[in-house]
Amino acid sequence: MEAVAEHIQEELNVQTVFTIPALGGIDVAESVVVTWIIMAVLILLAFFLTRGFRTRNISKRQAAMEVMVTKLLSMTETMVGEEGAAYVPYLTTVLLYIGVANIIGIFGFKSPTKDLNVTLALALMSIILVQAAGIRAKGIKGWLHSFVEPIAIVTPFNILDLVTRPLSLCMRLFGNVLGAFVIMKLIEQVLPVVLPAVFSVYFDLFDGLLQAYVFVFLTSLYIKEAIE
Amino acid sequence: MNSLIAVGAGIAVLGALGAGIGIGIATGKAVEAVARQPEADGKIMKNLILGCALAEATAIYGFVIAIMIIMFFR
Repeated sequence: MEAVAEHIQEELNVQTVFTIPALGGIDVAESVVVTWIIMAVLILLAFFLTRGFRTRNISKRQAAMEVMVTKLLSMTETMVGEEGAAYVPYLTTVLLYIGVANIIGIFGFKSPTKDLNVTLALALMSIILVQAAGIRAKGIKGWLHSFVEPIAIVTPFNILDLVTRPLSLCMRLFGNVLGAFVIMKLIEQVLPVVLPAVFSVYFDLFDGLLQAYVFVFLTSLYIKEAIE
Repeated sequence: MNSLIAVGAGIAVLGALGAGIGIGIATGKAVEAVARQPEADGKIMKNLILGCALAEATAIYGFVIAIMIIMFFR
């Protein structure tokens, strides 16, 4: 039992891989390196799968890619609504990134989303985008006025929303990924064969993708609320 | 001291109780709704996932706090 606790603790700590010798040394954490790997994989996939596209007589690969991209874009578009069509590419990118980041643990990497800093950064990006979308749709005056809606007495709660929303987005993603990870480690202790594989389908694959969906869904819900 | 930390972490995870009840009620109602109106399946599913994600948050907070208790008090 001691060994498990120590192993889990070790996995929780985010190690610094190397230090960039500039500006007094910038620490590059493990999650950043794994994020680079995810970026490289996604960019290379996007690059090689989209070579040689034609308008007529399309190949099977092109047809498959077109279906995939259309499906993903329409999925986020139904979430954010037609007025928020400008935010669809961002939301889809975040969906892809979090989805891959959550399930990359299967391939032996440490999930970046298991690092609180990564989820916090994603949540901050979301809330800044939501406020920017509000300002863009209504102008500064309209955006400020949205704090006193529906009545003036709820203003403190509206301001509190600016803090609680990113906090809950960040904690939800972090807690889910971490929880799934701890449970998987405990299951591995009980029985190291067959059983983890069965549970891994739920905890790693299903829960990981579901949380990516939930994160994007909530972000688009906030955007929808901000621009209407 | 160590055992007290463990008890504290255990109490923090009791928050999962509320999430369990909440998700249970939500799923029950969603099943009822689908039985009544099978054609609204997609919309109900979407709302159910949203509701579950929000209800689940309390359990996740409990879990995160439990982990923090263990990490910071040892």
